[in-house]
Amino acid sequence: MLQKNGRVSWHGVVGLSVLLSILLACVTIVSAAEPQVGVYVNSSEVVVYWDPSEGFSNEVIVMNNLYETLVRYDSVTGEFTPVLATSYESSADGLTWTFNLRKGVKFHTGGEMDAEAVKFSIDRTIAGEKGAFYIWDSVESIEAKDKYTVVFHLSYPAPLDIAASAAYCAHIFDPDFSDRDWFYEGNDSGTGPYTIESNEGNTLVILKKFDNYWGGWEGKHFDKVVFQWVPEEGTRRLMVESGEADFTNRLAASGLEALRGVPGVEIVSVPSFQNLLALLNTAKSADEPTGNPLVRKALSYALPYDDVIEGVMGGYARQSRGVVPFGLWGYSDKVKQYTFSPETAKVLLEQAGYPDGGFKVVLTYVAGDENERRTAELWKAELAKLGVELEIRGMPWEAQIDLGAAADPNDRQDIFLFYWWPDYADPHSFLSAMFETQPILFNFSYYSNPVFDALINAAKEKALFDRQAATDMYVEAQNMLMADAAGVAIYDMSSMRAKRTSLKGYVDNPAYTHVVFWYDCYREE
Amino acid sequence: MTAYIIRRLGLALVVMFGVSVFTFLLTVIVPSNPAMRWVGPHAKLEQIEKAKIELGLDKPVHIRYFKYIASFLRGDWGVSIRTHQPVLKDIATYLPASLELIIFGMLLGFVAGIPLGIASAVRDGTMVDHGSRVFSIMGVALPTFWLGMILQLVFFKQLGLFPLAGRVAMMTRFTAPIEHITGFYLFDSLITGNFTAFGSALSHIVLPGITLAAYPLGLSARMTRATMLEVLGEDYIRTARACGFRERRILSVYALRNAIGPVITVGALTFAYSLVETFLIESVFTWPGLGQYASKAILSVDYPAIMGVTLLIAFTYVVLNLLVDLTQAFLDPRIRLG
Repeated sequence: MLQKNGRVSWHGVVGLSVLLSILLACVTIVSAAEPQVGVYVNSSEVVVYWDPSEGFSNEVIVMNNLYETLVRYDSVTGEFTPVLATSYESSADGLTWTFNLRKGVKFHTGGEMDAEAVKFSIDRTIAGEKGAFYIWDSVESIEAKDKYTVVFHLSYPAPLDIAASAAYCAHIFDPDFSDRDWFYEGNDSGTGPYTIESNEGNTLVILKKFDNYWGGWEGKHFDKVVFQWVPEEGTRRLMVESGEADFTNRLAASGLEALRGVPGVEIVSVPSFQNLLALLNTAKSADEPTGNPLVRKALSYALPYDDVIEGVMGGYARQSRGVVPFGLWGYSDKVKQYTFSPETAKVLLEQAGYPDGGFKVVLTYVAGDENERRTAELWKAELAKLGVELEIRGMPWEAQIDLGAAADPNDRQDIFLFYWWPDYADPHSFLSAMFETQPILFNFSYYSNPVFDALINAAKEKALFDRQAATDMYVEAQNMLMADAAGVAIYDMSSMRAKRTSLKGYVDNPAYTHVVFWYDCYREE
Repeated sequence: MTAYIIRRLGLALVVMFGVSVFTFLLTVIVPSNPAMRWVGPHAKLEQIEKAKIELGLDKPVHIRYFKYIASFLRGDWGVSIRTHQPVLKDIATYLPASLELIIFGMLLGFVAGIPLGIASAVRDGTMVDHGSRVFSIMGVALPTFWLGMILQLVFFKQLGLFPLAGRVAMMTRFTAPIEHITGFYLFDSLITGNFTAFGSALSHIVLPGITLAAYPLGLSARMTRATMLEVLGEDYIRTARACGFRERRILSVYALRNAIGPVITVGALTFAYSLVETFLIESVFTWPGLGQYASKAILSVDYPAIMGVTLLIAFTYVVLNLLVDLTQAFLDPRIRLG
């Protein structure tokens, strides 16, 4: 067949090769069953910090499927659901919290989760002093009372269940597998439903189901979950449209609108706990514009809030009222809200000694963030009418925070555009991180007011027993910030995500920003 | 010849030294705080200071540079501030994907570009020539990220012929996983007889490959046309025609061999240039290559990674230049290297 008149028939060879290829392909196809795979495409690197005691960035989306907390917080109902703890109670004075642990929970590394492991995990996180470790600020000591009972002794009454449910730095891991370098090599030692199958340079992380998961695998679940970094928004949209991806986040308003009405795609947009602030440099000397509170107030009145919300955010945001976002306790209508009023801004500039403007302020934002850039552009246009020049500098994040931490406050930026979402669902997270007196971490307004500090810390201690009193104190603290114009609270964002309609079981929980708990999800066409 | 090679190697060392100094200084000048990134978020000032010592950032710049170069030459390219992994290991992870794309794109570009240039030269002034020139100029002039997106819209969204992004279909990773041998998916899947994965990898590389091929295609077509026109006007070609040699033989043996030198030079340099060009293409097609690694390193001022990638690309440029010169001498004995 392959020879014709003693010569090789190339048609025959090619035909046989094609046939063999098809057969081999069929063999390969039938040799492996198709697993149920969920795909999450993310706008940035999917993991930055692999150590569960350091988490503070995008890895929240991966880590919450690898590791578990004692309880989980439902920010909509305000209830806590048991995870590694089946129940818990606090003493009457709120200084002792006892968690009863679930029995028979295995770590991915083989050991059993018990009170010693919980104590070790939280102690290690507190001692490391990294990431969101400060959520455990109230904890004085941890006691493993017996194998399945762990007791937290606090130095002041605090809602420890909120800390124990945090998206960061509240994860429990195997003490025998807790070496930092080992984590950074792409390993995990959690108890979650999924464990790491592979990691390609933090840009493509594949998780597989953990067969010994305490929740079991009855019912519909995904066998594997893929987290992929896809920087181009257009590509991410097309992936969701075509069904290559089940879920994506951080879409621009225009991108979200482009997906509206596309068959098989569902837009997910609910109020989130993420907001955008412009932190104003209060530490500059009095002869510098932002060193003058009147100028800072003028800047606050010169921002066209409605144009930003409609023009930049396409309506997927609402103007902030204070620093605490809408929907989170601590938010209140009693907090002062600046409105767009160029006339008031003009009067304030005159009072400050700048009747015709005539000065320049520098604004920094993370290069590549279009929402921030466009917000700054609108602000710039309005300030130009007042004779104020706004220089907009897009910078890499590291460079932005480096400039923000320059030794001389006069060398730092005047305005720092900054997003914040809570480490744990508590107003203290917003007020402390950005405005409490401290070495510069995220306090890029350099605000320092002992009365404010005392007030928010007193509120923190009130929160457990008298939520209303704590709320009133947080309201007062926010009004202090607004009166001093330490920052411009611009907008509270709605989540801007898209998912396949076939992805069922997903619940957008603002307490776990950008997180999909994949174990709860399944696909149904 | 030996003296020439030694002299060129010496010059190459000078170039590499210059690139390393310049890049190192840039990473020092750009405002950044690698120690802060290294220790993680919310680190205390003491922790940052400790990390500075650990990373050697407390030393003067010249000491840091010489320590870096000494380690680099020993094969220790430092540890990435971002991934916490050795830079060499990171590069070994990402490089095969980029090389596979570049080789595929370059082959596509030159295999199409050279015949196009020849046809254009032979039919000088005709519609074939005009069409070829317009096509070539478009290939060189079109921004790659734009071309990539257009190809995605047409061939993925409208026609559904090729996949959108990635190196292989997600499901293929699980149903027909590729055995990692060289990191080149096409090669690895083929030699292991994993034809499902081969088909998937092939279909995934087509669109980014065409995007990458546009520039070398245009360039090689333009170069081939220009050099072929020059050669075809030479006396020896006229003599060959007068002697009755077949046109095909004249073109492919006598003309092309003399005309191809500059095209090879350009081709080699384009190869090194493609290492940089893939930065954007990899971003559009989510191709997990060196470009993605480098762009992330630049954005986070990850200086060991930036140094590693820059020196690798500089080294590639230098070596390819040298190889081009030697190949030219082999192809064209008129070139006197001494």
